[in-house]
Formats: sequence, C-alpha cells, structure tokens
Amino acid sequence: MERIKEVLNNFDMEYVEDYKPTWVKAKLKNKDDITKVVKALKEVGIRSCSTVSPTDFPEENRMEINYFLEDIVNKKNVWLKVDIDRDLDKCEIDSITPILESADYHELESYSTFGVKFKGHPNLRYFLISRDYYGKFPFRKDFDWEEHEKHLIENVNAIAEEFFEEYEENEKTVGHEDSRTVLHWGPTHPASGPIRLKVYTNGENIEKVEPDIGYVWRALEKLSERKDFIGTIVAVERVCFMDNTNPMICYAQAVEEIAGKEITPFAKYMRVILGELGRTVSHLISMGGFFGTMGLQTFLMWCLDVREYFLDALEDYSGARIATACIEPGGVRYPLNDYKAWFEEINKAIEKWEKTKPDIEDIFLKNPLMTTRAKNKGIFSHEDVIDNYLQGPIARASGVKTDVRIDEPYAAYGELKMDYVTCENGDARDRLEIIYKEINQSIDLIKQAMVKIEEGIEKGEMDPKKDHLVKMPRRMPAGEAVSRVEWARGEMLMHLVTTEKSTNPYRLKIKAPSVNHTRMLEKLIPGHSLSDIPLLYGSMHICQGDLDR
Amino acid sequence: MLFEISEKMIRVLKAFTEPRIATKDIVKEPAHKSPIFRGRHEIKWDVCIGCDACNKICPVDAIKMKPLPLKKPNKVPEVNLAICIFCGLCEDVCPTKPKAIKLSGGDIEMITEGTPEALENFWVRVEIPEEWIEKKKKEEEEKARKKAEMMAKKKAEAEAKKKAQASKAQNESKKSAPAQKGDEK
Repeated sequence: MERIKEVLNNFDMEYVEDYKPTWVKAKLKNKDDITKVVKALKEVGIRSCSTVSPTDFPEENRMEINYFLEDIVNKKNVWLKVDIDRDLDKCEIDSITPILESADYHELESYSTFGVKFKGHPNLRYFLISRDYYGKFPFRKDFDWEEHEKHLIENVNAIAEEFFEEYEENEKTVGHEDSRTVLHWGPTHPASGPIRLKVYTNGENIEKVEPDIGYVWRALEKLSERKDFIGTIVAVERVCFMDNTNPMICYAQAVEEIAGKEITPFAKYMRVILGELGRTVSHLISMGGFFGTMGLQTFLMWCLDVREYFLDALEDYSGARIATACIEPGGVRYPLNDYKAWFEEINKAIEKWEKTKPDIEDIFLKNPLMTTRAKNKGIFSHEDVIDNYLQGPIARASGVKTDVRIDEPYAAYGELKMDYVTCENGDARDRLEIIYKEINQSIDLIKQAMVKIEEGIEKGEMDPKKDHLVKMPRRMPAGEAVSRVEWARGEMLMHLVTTEKSTNPYRLKIKAPSVNHTRMLEKLIPGHSLSDIPLLYGSMHICQGDLDR
Repeated sequence: MLFEISEKMIRVLKAFTEPRIATKDIVKEPAHKSPIFRGRHEIKWDVCIGCDACNKICPVDAIKMKPLPLKKPNKVPEVNLAICIFCGLCEDVCPTKPKAIKLSGGDIEMITEGTPEALENFWVRVEIPEEWIEKKKKEEEEKARKKAEMMAKKKAEAEAKKKAQASKAQNESKKSAPAQKGDEK
C-alpha cells in the first residue's frame, strides 16, 4: 500500500487517500499524465483494469473518469480519478489499453455511451449500443430520450435501409477465395444465447473470432437513474436472472455506505444465505449448460431438477422464484416469520443435491467422452488471468487465488470458515469441475450461516421478525461509493454516485465479469476447430445479461 | 381363468377412479406454493386512502390511478398485469392496515390469450358498487355539513367569547378603579 502511495505521490495529484482496507483513492490533476501513472503502477504490480467509469457533470462542464485498477495477487487496488473536458470535440484522453489490455472493452463502452474518445486505442469503434444510438451517447445527462424516440420512429426506414446496404456491401466484399469463410455463430445457435461470434475460418480451422454484442442491451445503468433508491433493485437484479441476489447485495452495500448505515447481524447472515442460494442456482445452470453445449441435454435436465428445490427455498422467502427482489438497502426485504420452516425447505434442497451428487460424479464428471474432448483444451495460464483480468471460477480454475468474499469480506463472510477453491490446470474440464466444487462450498456456507442464525435466535441476539431492515433515510447525502461482491461468474463492482438530498442515483456503473470473458474468446477460440466453439464457449460460463446490461 | 380376467378388469376399473397426475390442474394446484407468493393483486377499495404511494414507487409504471367522485379516496389504483413485474414494492409502501393493495398470497392463475386486445384488457380493475359511492358521498356530505356546523358553532362561540371578553375587559376597566378603592378601605 505504502509503495503504491509513493508511486502516486510522484505525480501531480489533488489527493491520495486510503479507501477501505484494500483501496487507494487518488485524483490526478493533469489528464496527460494518465499513461505515465498507469505505467508506473504496472511496475508496482497493478496489472489488471477492472473497469472504466465516466461520470457526467454538465453543470461544471467536466467529465470525471474513474479507473478501477486491481492487483489480483496482492489484493491492492487503486481508484484513480481524472477530470476531462465535457465538450464533444475536447472530450478525449489517452487510452490505457496498450498498457493494460483488460481495459479494452471497458474503454469502448465508455466511448459508445459517453463519447469519451480514447486516443491510441487500437480499434476505437461503436460497441454495445444499437445503431440508432451511434454518435448520440445515450448515458450523457443531456441526452433527450423522448426526442430520440421521436427521431427513431420517424427514421426507422432509413435505419433499416442502412442495414440492407451494409449487407449488400458485405456480399460483394467477402470473397470466395481459398476455403476462407466468415461464419456467424449465434445468436440463434442452441448454445450461444443472444450473442453473435463472427468466426473467420479456413476450412475447419478458426483464424479469427469477433464477438458482436449488444443484443440484450437494456441500458440498466441509465434506467436506474430514473428510479428511486428502492426501485433500483428491480433494475439491478435484472443484470442476469441466473444469480439474481448478489447484484442486489452489491447495490445495497453501496447505498448503505453513502448513507452511513450499518445493517444488523441477522441481515448479514441472511444475505450470506440468499447470496449462496443464488450462486448455487446459477452454477447448476452453468454446469448443465456445459454439457448442453456438447449436445447432451440429460445433465441439464438433472441440474434443473435440483435447481427447482433451491428455487422453492427462494420462493418461500421472497414470494418469487427468479426475480426475487429480496434484498434492499438497509438489510433484507422480508422478515423471517417462520425460520424453522424455511430452514427445513433449504435442508430439503441440500438433501436433494447430496442425493444426486454421487451420480453426477460417476456419470458426468468422470465421463471419458467429456474428458477426451475437454482435457487440455483452452488452457489459461496465470499470466493470462492477470493480464486479461479473468475472474471468479475461470480464474480459480487456473489456480489463481482470488475471491472477493475472502479478499474484501462483505456481509457476514468474514465470520464464516471458507477457503479458496482452486483447480490446477486451467483447461475447459477444470472450469467445469470448479463449478462443482463451488456448489459444495456454497452449501457448506449456507449450513454455517443457518447454524449461526439459529444460535443467535436462541441466545436472543437476533429477532428474525424485526431485525431484517434498518431504516434508511429517504434522501441521500452527496457521496460516492464502490462496492464489490463475488458474483456467480466473477467479481461484480458497482460505482454509485449521489448528489445532495437526492432521491435517485446520479450514476450507477455496473461492472460485470462476462465482459472480460467475452473479450477472452478472441484469444481462446482461434487455433481450434469449428466443433470446439460450443465447448470452449460453454466453459467460459458467459451470460449475455451481464455482458450487455 | 375367469378369476384372472375379473381381477384384471377390477384393476383397470380401479385405475379410472384413482387421481392421476396428468389430470391435475397445476394452474390451480401448483407443485410448490409459497405462503407469500407474489401473484395477482388484490385491491381493497374500501380500505384505500388514495395516497398515490404505490403509483409513485412502481418501477415500471404499471399502476394507473382511477379517479373517484369522492374526497377520500379520490383515486384508487388499477394494475396493468401485462406490464407489472410483480416486485411487490407497491405492497411494501402501502400505508394502510390491512394493506389496500396486496400481492402476497395472491392468485397464481394468470392466463390470457396473448392477443393485443386481450393484453390491453389484462388489468386488475377496481369495480366499486354505485351504492357504496353514494353512501360514501352522503357520509362525506354529512361530515362536511357537520364540520361546517361545528366550524360555525365554534366560530360563533369564539365570537361570543371575544365579545364577552371585550365587554368583560370594558367592565373590568370600568370597575377596576372603584374596586381598588374598595380594597384600600
């Protein structure tokens, strides 16, 4: 930490201060220094860029860019801010992608939504947003949605025509020399989900892959600016339906930090249980989906069967199976009127899992066909993980010890016994096995948390009917917070900005892991044959919901 | 031989009477039902106070307030089920007791044809009988009249008091001089 501060103090900084145990917060005065600062930080060991998040201040005519830079190995992170001009012609800054390549997609996203030009970016283009938003920068504060809608309705034919023109042009330019072709994998492929991979092939061999994303872009970050602090949870939980409790925990933590409130121990343990239930539910789909991509749907059905029991537990608590909306700023949303019945329901789900476990191990995890196909395919080394900032199960499959639950304990994870779950090889098979191991870990955590809650109630320290929620102020003070959680598919980071006496978020940046994982496909798939695409793609556990947001 | 046949026949006949899974109506009897399942809304128009809180908090603008020719409630919520995401925030925010708008424990039976016309009419409507409105109106009128009467009474009383006080004060000021004299004696 001291070393990082020393490095930062060598430059012209407005302030350098500690923020949380693992973060250093600093503001750079001159935007031209950014590449030098990042270079110096890289030498100290900060080699991954978590995300780039611009915040728009039209009244002060400035755009504040937040860089979240992380050192996965030593758990030291830097939150670097820099102001730039807001006018479209002058709104530019040096790109850090040549230094930290994990910033690539995040910079493109900032360019498409805020119009920040990154000088020196290898391929600066519109990205994520649909064509009717090109050059309009929808996340800026002065973007007029009604005007845009009117314009869209008037010009819908012209926009459609543009598509046809592009199509015709492609027909002419894409030649038929050799056996080179461009294949479109997705968005209607059974294994793909709403994403399209442009696959440049030569016969069977893949030469290049270009992901085309934005099919389910809902502008959740902008939508949450139009809702109040409680209503935002329904926008946030829709990041991805598979694990929907953890994004709400992340958002609620950010709001609590700004309001300066501490939640009750009961709510903390409840968050652990709900978060781990969400993780289990998501991992069960991921695990089944991995086999689904290889054409074997049986295992998917088995997993969905077990998942139903976990969904029952979620439904008993919140009243909904998938979009639970069960965590809000200040604690958890519902009191636990009959905690014994609910724990019984969870135990039923766990029992079901324990019963299927031996079969899963024997039939699927030791499956010789799967092993021959997936073993030693698509290996990620330690360096790959750090440079491209792969997270969560993908990073842990390569043996990198990273887990936000342990690195920066939130909720009640600090009081529970847990350890990093890792595999060694980092190939596609390990990325399946890690998921299986993590489900077991989650279930262990749920059991521990249930015991703690029961003990607390018996001792009279917790009251499940009253302790669930702390009263939050209706209007928030001005502030900024960063909160991180370990999501099912990796680290989720939210950057929340509020203004004085505000009733809705001023800016909410959601950083989700699938962005980096999708970027990794560009490096992962080339060199393999066509039939390996679904397997490798499935092994990355990508969800388009959090990729596009 | 005959015995075997009759046994088989009995078995077949028995199968007819037994409840079969295939005939179970899962719309009405789900495999798992949560006690607080967030389903179709129940709107209690006689409890509602027309505070508009549910409309304000609704994150998807599914609630529309139906105006009433009354003072309180002057409007009641109606929910568009085609838009609603069943988050239950309207129930949380409702200030009345029991809740005037309620999802938890609600109906799971929510099936519509799916045509545009059917979706347009896919609402939780509030149908208030005319008599209730008339009754409420009369009550309100009576209340207003009573209030007006009370106000008039109070006003009159206050005025009378004022007058009395004024006259008292006058009297006192007149009397005060001789009284003091009397005290001295």
